[in-house]
Amino acid sequence: MARRGTWAAALRTPVGACSAVLLALVVVLAALAPLLWGEGAAAIDTDAIGQGPSGAHPFGTDSLGRDLLLRTLVATRLSVGLAVLATAIGAGTGVVLGTLPSVLPRRVGRLLTAVVDIAVAFPGLLLALFLAVIFGVGTHGAVLAIGFATAPAFARLVQTLSASVSGRDFVAAARIAGVGRIRLLARHVLPNIGEPLVVNATIGAGSALLAFAGLSFLGIGVQAPDYDWGRLLREGLDGIYVTPVAALAPAAAVVLAGLAFNLVGETVAAVVGVRTHATRRGAPPLPAAPSAPGEPPADAVLVVENLRVAFPGPSGWTVPVRGVSFSVRAGEAIGVVGESGSGKSLTALAVSRLVEAPGLVTADRLEFAGKALAEASDRELGTALAMVFQDPMTSFNPARRVGGQLAEVSEQHHGLSRRQAFARAVDRLAAVRVPAPERRARQYPHEFSGGMRQRAMIGMGLMGRPKLIVADEPTTALDVTVQRQVLRLLARTREAEGAAILLISHDIAVVAQTCERMLVMYAGRIVEDLPSGAAAQHPYTRALLATTVDLDTDRDRPLEVIPGRPPEPGQVPEGCAFAARCPLASDRCRAEDPVLEPAGDGHRVACWHPQVTVLSGQSQEEGAA
Amino acid sequence: MSALEFDAVSVRYGRLTAVDGVSLTVPSGQVVGLVGESGSGKSTLARAAAGLAPVSAGRVRLDGVDVRRLPRRRPLQMVFQDPYSSLDPRMAIGESIAEAMPRGAGRRAEVARLLELVNLDPDRADMLPGRLSGGQRQRVALARALAGRPKVLIADEITSALDVSVQGAVLNLVRDVQRRLALSMLFISHNLAVVRYVSDVVAVMYLGRIVEAGPAAQVLTDPQHPYTRDLLAAAPSAHRSLLDDTGDDPLADTEPADPHHPPSGCRYHPRCPIGPLAHPDRTVCVTTDPAGEAAGRSHSAACHFAAGHPTRRSA
Repeated sequence: MARRGTWAAALRTPVGACSAVLLALVVVLAALAPLLWGEGAAAIDTDAIGQGPSGAHPFGTDSLGRDLLLRTLVATRLSVGLAVLATAIGAGTGVVLGTLPSVLPRRVGRLLTAVVDIAVAFPGLLLALFLAVIFGVGTHGAVLAIGFATAPAFARLVQTLSASVSGRDFVAAARIAGVGRIRLLARHVLPNIGEPLVVNATIGAGSALLAFAGLSFLGIGVQAPDYDWGRLLREGLDGIYVTPVAALAPAAAVVLAGLAFNLVGETVAAVVGVRTHATRRGAPPLPAAPSAPGEPPADAVLVVENLRVAFPGPSGWTVPVRGVSFSVRAGEAIGVVGESGSGKSLTALAVSRLVEAPGLVTADRLEFAGKALAEASDRELGTALAMVFQDPMTSFNPARRVGGQLAEVSEQHHGLSRRQAFARAVDRLAAVRVPAPERRARQYPHEFSGGMRQRAMIGMGLMGRPKLIVADEPTTALDVTVQRQVLRLLARTREAEGAAILLISHDIAVVAQTCERMLVMYAGRIVEDLPSGAAAQHPYTRALLATTVDLDTDRDRPLEVIPGRPPEPGQVPEGCAFAARCPLASDRCRAEDPVLEPAGDGHRVACWHPQVTVLSGQSQEEGAA
Repeated sequence: MSALEFDAVSVRYGRLTAVDGVSLTVPSGQVVGLVGESGSGKSTLARAAAGLAPVSAGRVRLDGVDVRRLPRRRPLQMVFQDPYSSLDPRMAIGESIAEAMPRGAGRRAEVARLLELVNLDPDRADMLPGRLSGGQRQRVALARALAGRPKVLIADEITSALDVSVQGAVLNLVRDVQRRLALSMLFISHNLAVVRYVSDVVAVMYLGRIVEAGPAAQVLTDPQHPYTRDLLAAAPSAHRSLLDDTGDDPLADTEPADPHHPPSGCRYHPRCPIGPLAHPDRTVCVTTDPAGEAAGRSHSAACHFAAGHPTRRSA
């Protein structure tokens, strides 16, 4: 399983390795120290009372002449054991308190939630002290006190986590299916919040350890003749000016054990949240044989040759974009279509220089406006290249007014004053037909509807003089009527500003409607580059067209489907990536990867068996799925 | 016979009225397609029928019985939009399906039968959903819905999270299963083309109201409400260019209304191409709610001028 690999990778990081070593040390000591040195630690030696460090007693002795090193080591079991026990009580109580409100009647549930909220507001240690007094001085009292003092925080965590899980559709589906509340909780909610709870409990154990040491130090924790680190610390403190090591040894033990728990928690969190970076990272695989690139047209805004985007994974590099070549001429509208995972969005990000580390972009040639993209300054890109994203809600800063965000572009790149920049922002909002632009510029993004936000995003691109607008699924989140408005706006902008457009979409109809030329991508390659009106030659393009449902689809026949699924980026087969799903595939297709080659006027296709006959766009494959 | 009836159903969340007095019937064994933009309340209506949203006014009835009085394992099941969130990532798919079944023996065989019904290999019953593709997950979700032996199935945007190549297979399957089991189905989508393909009856929803409803062929070929006409005209089509039809009228840039502050009178009037914006004398659109006499018009169209503007066929 992949999980095992992640654990192994996590252990190879410095934090992972430290935490493993520390935890192993603590566990071994807790298990073995009392057996090995228990008697030695209890042996009273009246000849060596209150001694400093010496050969026989490296950390000195206490007021009864007992060896402090041994006592510190032996105390590991009690200290750690009590901390773990307290954490278990805290976590257990927390889970019960946190989940009860969803099972209890509504009013009682709310009351319980309120009580937990108040308890959370209390400082933990104060609560522990208070409870310790109630439960009585001693080990039992202290365990219960610390356990219950940490419970509210856990309860709160459980409530928050289960609220987010309960909002998901699978819980709704289970409810409709008639699953009862308790089973819902036990089978659907708790398993899905287990991981963060375990992480928090591990880190919580570190805090419990500290709290316990604190209570014992204050004299309301462990009582003699038992001893834990807190108690040793208290005893050692009396002589801190004479024999400082007597206090420092248990203090160091507390710190180390606390560190062990915290680091283990961090490591587990890293694995669970998949935050680990792979450590093995050789060079990415070499580019495959480049496709035959023609000389780009003289007025090209964007020239891309053999573009590859690679990401490091736990088992080597995956290459979601595998050698893409195309060029965009000034004022041209080009669409990129493909299914999810085809690499179309990454291609768009790569030409906008937005692929972030650890992603790696390589290309034989990647030029924007006649210059290598890698050398273009931020100002040049900021004013000449505009980007429109799928979700306009996340591409604006929600805490700033829209006009200010647009104006910032001109302040940064054109050196306009704030007032001038704002005036330009209003002008640009008007240009993208935002009604009442003056008023709208003073509003926040959340006050805009999705379509208006997308307009404002395009308006932001128009603050400069864009030569190219890269629009990545700009209308996917919008409704058809609004989609049409935004697409029309893009088309008008292109006319007015002479900007070229690179439109990424999963919807071949949208691209056909908006663009002169489309690039069809499959498994990280361009498989066909064709003028929008032309008859498709690649079987994949033809299948995509055939599967599209529109208002003329025959209702009495089953819909066309493409059997199978695209290959995962890490497992692209030899030969043509589409061969496994292609009705025309031959042995050659499975062995040799076809190269994108010219196939008529402005048409390129990467296929060994292109379909040149002019058909109505209906292919015969059917049914099987 | 198992008809699902919405009778003047309203759903309110605080001050927001997501669904406002909707009456709609899903006749036994038929598919009713519900279209509308996001925020129009179509999903809320579905969730109200499934008991996931509070019904503030009106009734949802299944065979004359209020859905709130149905037994816990109700004969009404739902398939959700996002197959990545609608299956428990920690539960084997077979178990998810079995959970929806009435208690009793032969669960394992029944799970296998259902998986086969949705064209999945029964050996996959022990897999976690993480190992399935989006289309396969959606089939599992369908199998789980069928496990409850429903009479009514609600499909809420079940293909909008899927790629086109997969969408066809899921739609074929749903249509096939619906016919084979004679289910009544409420099929919700923002995609008019998809709704047209699946449905016998089409209802169009705008800002919490149904503005037009009728037999699919009639509504789509002879739309009565201007909003339906706009939807039809805006549907993307590879055969039509963007800029050729209506040209550049300023109406095309009006903003969708805010559901928190629905417009007075006809809710579509601020965007309507045949309303007061185009014809200043049509003040009735601003002052009077056309829903009142909708029942008397063709397709129950909620438009004062529905009859005055018959066929303007598109597509």
